[in-house]
Amino acid sequence: MRPVLAALAALCLSATPLAAADIEAGRQRAETCVTCHGADGITADPSIPSLAGQRERYLQWQLVFFRSGRRANPIMGPLAADLTDEELRNLGAYFASLPRANPPSGAPDPALHEAGKQAAARHRCASCHQDNYGGSQAAPAIAHQTRAYTAKALRDYRANARPSVGVAAMNEAAGGLTDDDITALAVYLERPE
Amino acid sequence: MTRTSSARRKRVVGPAILAAGLMLGGGAANAQLKSYDSSKPSFWQNPPPDWFLGDETEAQKGLAPPVGPATPTPLAELNDNLKKIKLPPGFKIEVYASGIPEARQMAWGDNGTLFVGSFGATNVYAVTDKGGKREVKTILKGLNMPTGVAFRDGALYVIAIDKLLRYDGAESKLDEMPKPVVVYDDMPPYVAHGWKYIVTDKEGAMYLPFGPPFNIGIPPTSVSQIRRVHPNGQAEIIALGVRNSVGGDIDPRTGQYWFTENARDWISDDLPSDKLNHVTRLGQHFGYPYCHQGDMPDPKFAMGHKCDEFTPPALNLGPHVAPLGMKFYTGNQFPAEYQNNILIAEHGSWNRHKYQGGRIMRVTVDPDGKNAKQEVFAEGWITGNQEYSGRPNDILVAKDGSILVADDWAGAIYRISYSR
Ligand code: HEC
Ligand code: HEC
Repeated sequence: MRPVLAALAALCLSATPLAAADIEAGRQRAETCVTCHGADGITADPSIPSLAGQRERYLQWQLVFFRSGRRANPIMGPLAADLTDEELRNLGAYFASLPRANPPSGAPDPALHEAGKQAAARHRCASCHQDNYGGSQAAPAIAHQTRAYTAKALRDYRANARPSVGVAAMNEAAGGLTDDDITALAVYLERPE
Repeated sequence: MTRTSSARRKRVVGPAILAAGLMLGGGAANAQLKSYDSSKPSFWQNPPPDWFLGDETEAQKGLAPPVGPATPTPLAELNDNLKKIKLPPGFKIEVYASGIPEARQMAWGDNGTLFVGSFGATNVYAVTDKGGKREVKTILKGLNMPTGVAFRDGALYVIAIDKLLRYDGAESKLDEMPKPVVVYDDMPPYVAHGWKYIVTDKEGAMYLPFGPPFNIGIPPTSVSQIRRVHPNGQAEIIALGVRNSVGGDIDPRTGQYWFTENARDWISDDLPSDKLNHVTRLGQHFGYPYCHQGDMPDPKFAMGHKCDEFTPPALNLGPHVAPLGMKFYTGNQFPAEYQNNILIAEHGSWNRHKYQGGRIMRVTVDPDGKNAKQEVFAEGWITGNQEYSGRPNDILVAKDGSILVADDWAGAIYRISYSR
């Protein structure tokens, strides 16, 4: 993205005011989270997602889903079980306020990357996640996430093992993906630019 | 009429394209518009997940429905939000109940229990008054979009997409609701525009809207209509050519059915207008998909039809305002000139660069549908170009003549009262 456009896009995105959530309180509450999710919300473990710069409401919905068990996960379930609405709002606001991770270093396998790009175009992932995969409205940012986590997320939606806001939008979007699609998409989305 | 409306269309599309270009970085290399052939059975038998994006235009590209807060808005924040709501002199708004995820249609039980449906939350709630304090209880869970509720003869009725359910003796069984009786289920199962609203008439029959499973297309014959369902499960078709309706009421002056209707998306920010309709005759056709707002043939699906073949709206309410729940005011608290006016909860835009709606409108209209005009009654829930602090979606008149307003964005119910 050219700098001018990037600046414009940033303007458009930051037009959404962060609700009354308390970022500082979120930072303090996040001390128990960063052992896994990384000091600045950027993970060092490929099986754990980065949270930095993710869309605030998306993070909050996921914590609501973990808390109610609708997104069943043996690690996150117990951690979210006794979060209050207020803590959950603050945590979402805090991680959303951090700068998003850079793409991982090192060039990906070009054939796999190209296959992922084509799969994304074929399944029109950008129509909800935007051309830069930075997300919009209900759809989260999916660029620069670890490939291991992205692949698991797509398999989970496909198997209806996790719910989706937006009238199950993502379950249906993932329903038609093959294993090869998923592998390639996960590689491509690490570094879509 | 064709000429006027297409000329108008040109004027509004210009700036809209510009705005979309700015937001999205001006037609990036992989910018693709979504288009579907929604006229085929294969489409409506299995609507794709992004069915509402399916007729994307360059002008509106990238506009998608906003996602609400994950948790109901806390009371302190609600009180703050309500300070910004503008009302006519003498009226006051306050929080009636909060902590009600995705609160939708409301109905009174005979003993004063307030029943509330929900959207994606899968719940039905009961709000009871405990010495001036409201207690919110989730009485039903796991239903498929139970947006519509009604109460009659001691029973709670819930509409969940394709099932009209009856819970007998509901008000005395809030702690453990009885197994429901399925009153009527001759309805398509898809969720796309399948969420409904219930209007009950004097005879106890229930008016149910059936939306088409897409933005625009030739609808399957089982939808784009309003049906009237009797408590014994008999049903008749009342109106045709209806897009997505999620609100209506019976005119206390005539016993006739009125309903709000959401017009198609993806043409422009300013066309076409959403509508208020009035049914005077069995089987009237309100124009969808051929004609919008009474005078605008659909660019693709008019298919030779003229607008004068169809019943025009009683009133065009404006583009992308999303009129949902409505009620004739029948209380005795508001000033006399409000008697039998229609109050409409507007949910507000998503397919528009600058949101509008998200407010309550007051419509005055003669019993025969003539001389309809509207003015803003309550506004202030839109807090930015594309941001809400709340989204009104239903209205209910209370015994004391105040009105309640359901807000599914903030998960709250407000009370608006009047005193001189
Ligand atoms: C013991 C390690 C661990 C700790 C501590 C932890 N998490 Fe997680 N978290 C995970 C893993 C693993 C996942 C991926 C779950 C999956 O695969 O679905 C995850 C997923 C998430 C997600 C979903 C992200 C997405 O993109 O959908 C959120 C949000 C989240 N965690 C927030 C938190 C918060 C807030 C805390 C602190 C209260 C926390 N986590 C503490 C391991 C951890
Ligand atoms: C109809 C809109 C839509 C389309 C099309 C779509 N998505 Fe999504 N996607 C969403 C929404 C909404 C969510 C959030 C769902 C939730 O609540 O968990 C999501 C979530 C995701 C996530 C989870 C991110 C995380 O951190 O866990 C991934 C990964 C993803 N989408 C990838 C894709 C890919 C790849 C495609 C194309 C094959 C795609 N999406 C197509 C709307 C869409």
